[in-house]
Amino acid sequence: MPKSTAQTSDKLTPVLGVTAAAMLVAALYMIFLWVPNESTMGVVQRIFYFHVPSAATSWVAFFVGGVAAVRYLVSRDPRLDDLSVACNETGLVFCIVNLVTGAFWAKPIWGIWWAWDARGTSAMLLAVIYIGYLILRQSVDEPSQRAVVCAVVSICGMVDIPIIYMANRWWRTQHPAPVIGGGGLDANMGMVLGFATLALLTLLWYIVRQRRKLAEMQRETEGLRQMIHALAG
Amino acid sequence: MEENLRWLWYAFGSAWIIHIAYVHWIASRTKELRVQIESLRTLLKEQERKANP
Repeated sequence: MPKSTAQTSDKLTPVLGVTAAAMLVAALYMIFLWVPNESTMGVVQRIFYFHVPSAATSWVAFFVGGVAAVRYLVSRDPRLDDLSVACNETGLVFCIVNLVTGAFWAKPIWGIWWAWDARGTSAMLLAVIYIGYLILRQSVDEPSQRAVVCAVVSICGMVDIPIIYMANRWWRTQHPAPVIGGGGLDANMGMVLGFATLALLTLLWYIVRQRRKLAEMQRETEGLRQMIHALAG
Repeated sequence: MEENLRWLWYAFGSAWIIHIAYVHWIASRTKELRVQIESLRTLLKEQERKANP
């Protein structure tokens, strides 16, 4: 009998967990105590250092999940489906954090919780696509069929990412014009934004590894059940 | 100023609650599956022994 997924040793994940925790503490210090207040919005602008990195981190997760889905369709290796679901589910969590922090920022600045502008709407559409992806995973029983259908949805979901990124360039939106890369961001603010993004990417890596292990264990459970069924039958 | 500080705490608080809840769900589900896998493997061994005495 092969070694169980639950028994395999993993040295990198705990190291990643500690690194992510340390980086997040440092990022929180920089956000709350080090970086200066933005002159127009004041203290509430600090949500920016979590709102934008959460969006960027979710895009990275969905992109990796989509690439894993493409590779699954080519190779039919179930481990790639495990990676894809781990990335997509974790990406959805970061996407929800992005939407929630956005609403808490919009309320005091715009006076409304939600503006149906192109960027916000396309970001919400991204969350809806991946909620659909997770519902689909629950509703298809046959593992290989489920993996194929979900891989297709995952690849389709990726298409929305460049639309979100370009939304405030293509259309007039409630969201401000791009500040990153356009010289509109103070050097210290840029540094905090960069560091917070790095911290969240490390957290993403840690969570994806944990979630992938869970997916492997779910697959192992399904396999064991099938073997028991076959022997009993 | 203080009014706006409230929104900052809400945003960061909700972000952390979401992340912690998700990590907690993964950890508890992993623990659950570990137990399930162990019992399934024991059951499989027993069935294999019965099939090939």
